Amino acid sequence: MSDTLVETSAESAFLDLHKKLSSSEGSALAKLRGVALNQFELLRFPHSKHEMFTYLNTKGLAETAFSLADAPATVSQDFVASHIYPGCENQYLVFVDGVFNENLSQVEGLSVSLMPLSKAIKDSKLNAYLSETAKNENDAFAALSTAFCSEGLVCKVDDNTQVSGTLQVLFVSTGKESGPVMHAPRLIWQLGKLSEVKVIEKFVGIEGGYFINAVQDWLLAEGAGVTFTQVQADPFDSWHFSKTRIHLNRNSRFASTNASSGTQLARHHYDVRLKEEGAELRLNGVSVLDGKEQVHNFIRIHHEAPQCTSHQHFKNIINGQARSSFDGTVIVNQGAQLTSSNQLINNLMLSNDCHADNKPNLMIFADDVKCTHGATIGQIDENQWFYLQTRGLSAKIAKELLTRSFAKSIIQTIEFPEVINELNGTLLKKLEARNV
Amino acid sequence: MLEIKNLHAGFDGTEILKGISLSINKGETHAVMGPNGSGKSTLAKILSGHPSYQVTSGEVLFDGKNLLEMEAEDRSIAGIFMGFQYPVEVPGVNNAEFLRMAYNARKVKAGEEEVDPLDFDDLLSEKMKTLGMENKYKERNLNDGFSGGEKKKNEILQMAILEPKLSILDETDSGLDIDALRVVSEGVNKLSNENNSLILITHYQRLLDYIKPDFVHVLSKGKIVKSGDKSLALELESQGYDWVTTEN
Repeated sequence: MSDTLVETSAESAFLDLHKKLSSSEGSALAKLRGVALNQFELLRFPHSKHEMFTYLNTKGLAETAFSLADAPATVSQDFVASHIYPGCENQYLVFVDGVFNENLSQVEGLSVSLMPLSKAIKDSKLNAYLSETAKNENDAFAALSTAFCSEGLVCKVDDNTQVSGTLQVLFVSTGKESGPVMHAPRLIWQLGKLSEVKVIEKFVGIEGGYFINAVQDWLLAEGAGVTFTQVQADPFDSWHFSKTRIHLNRNSRFASTNASSGTQLARHHYDVRLKEEGAELRLNGVSVLDGKEQVHNFIRIHHEAPQCTSHQHFKNIINGQARSSFDGTVIVNQGAQLTSSNQLINNLMLSNDCHADNKPNLMIFADDVKCTHGATIGQIDENQWFYLQTRGLSAKIAKELLTRSFAKSIIQTIEFPEVINELNGTLLKKLEARNV
Repeated sequence: MLEIKNLHAGFDGTEILKGISLSINKGETHAVMGPNGSGKSTLAKILSGHPSYQVTSGEVLFDGKNLLEMEAEDRSIAGIFMGFQYPVEVPGVNNAEFLRMAYNARKVKAGEEEVDPLDFDDLLSEKMKTLGMENKYKERNLNDGFSGGEKKKNEILQMAILEPKLSILDETDSGLDIDALRVVSEGVNKLSNENNSLILITHYQRLLDYIKPDFVHVLSKGKIVKSGDKSLALELESQGYDWVTTEN
């Protein structure tokens, strides 16, 4: 099939790069990569009118000549420690340049079993799932990530196991002076019946110039529960793409909040399937963007069974020449009666040159459902601003307070006070620095 | 304390105040009454520094300083408090935290040390006790989801914390039932003393049953058409605004 396609030089460059990927030919993981590469060739890089990439321009990214990390980079324990949240010191996983680094991680006594993907993929059920998703991948960048995944990590929580405390996953990208490097971390979470886990993920970079292209799968069995917080804090001159697949079986719950500070191009793609009755999803996000930072959210939520609930609330604070977009569709399948779903996007625009695109969308094929969706775009409310000033707050402080209050309703949904403190101190601080 | 001299001002190119002169001394309570559209609220907004309103001529001195040259926040710090007719809801801003910020803004300007949250909580509790307010006001967000009466009570709480020299209460009685009106008025009375002054802007006389003014001014078509003592308000109540507006 691939030889019927005319590839652009950018696509050819990735195909050439793939040949350099060292692998044990014939292994299950190598086969999976092959399937993903074929899918990438089929999908190709999105053109400017591609419906999944309407609001972002990936041309610069696609045309960048990336290399792959040659050898595992070294990262100091101190650097890692500086990014581990208080309360997570005893259990954390560290990925360096997309690859799990056990030496830097703290996994002793962890009630999550960890297995390299190359080994776990021998399980026929997992193999079938991964092959199927690779074949049906609709996102060229996610296909590329799987095609370039040198190793992944499968995290398994057994039936009836409640992981105590909070587990942190830290993705460190070292960045390379020699030129742009692509990392493709892959994480698969398998949660057994009635299991529970709380996870904080943080993405940081020592230097910029890298492309982190992460894919993860959350597979929740009946009654499982996940509290998930993601903090995207890569440097501006990096590219951050992620695809998160979430499969929710009967009565399982997934509550997620993403806090993004943006990069020159950051995109989060969520694909959620509420597969059995009683599943619940909460997907929240907040982005605080300045300068030329960008964050784009692309979300597809499939209600495949009756009595499921999904709530989405995203807020963006956009300053300078920053850009954000939200393209989200909730699809309520035929038979998914008594679905309850809502989706709301609020944008606070702080400058004349910032840009926000929103496309909340509903596709309903059932007749007894409760679904809402909406989007708002606004500026600082002049009446609120004046009111605060009449109480003695300076124009600057009053604006800051209103900006913070806008983000607060999302940040407060984060269960971890340490993350909330950090976000208040870093994300919102950058707006203060710009005299918002 | 406040000296308004031949003030002309308006909104969006339309002149609303057409030459107002008013002098308010320490410890005095002045009621400014008038029919709808007479310019009462415009006067309040001009005094508080609303950016949408423009002064075309005249002068306003507060403690001898040119008030019109001061930003809204500087007016507040100098001791002017504006009680809004429609207090603005600010979701996401905690009431107690906001009050502490406003209180500390004064401290900082005065070169004093800021008050920490615990000490401020003691002060806030004391003021709330004086005003007979429940603790829920601390935890809720600023006016967010408050009823009309709760918003007005919250304005009085802010007034109690900020201890202004001059309070301008713009239609504080509007939208209040008689019980809420009594609570709010009692609060205002508790805060009044010989060192601070009050401008009550109101359409109805009933507020003045609770807060006794020293002077009553009737505003009509942007001018003060009659001034007198509190008996003027009673006369207005019985004869209606036509009595003064046609007489002049």
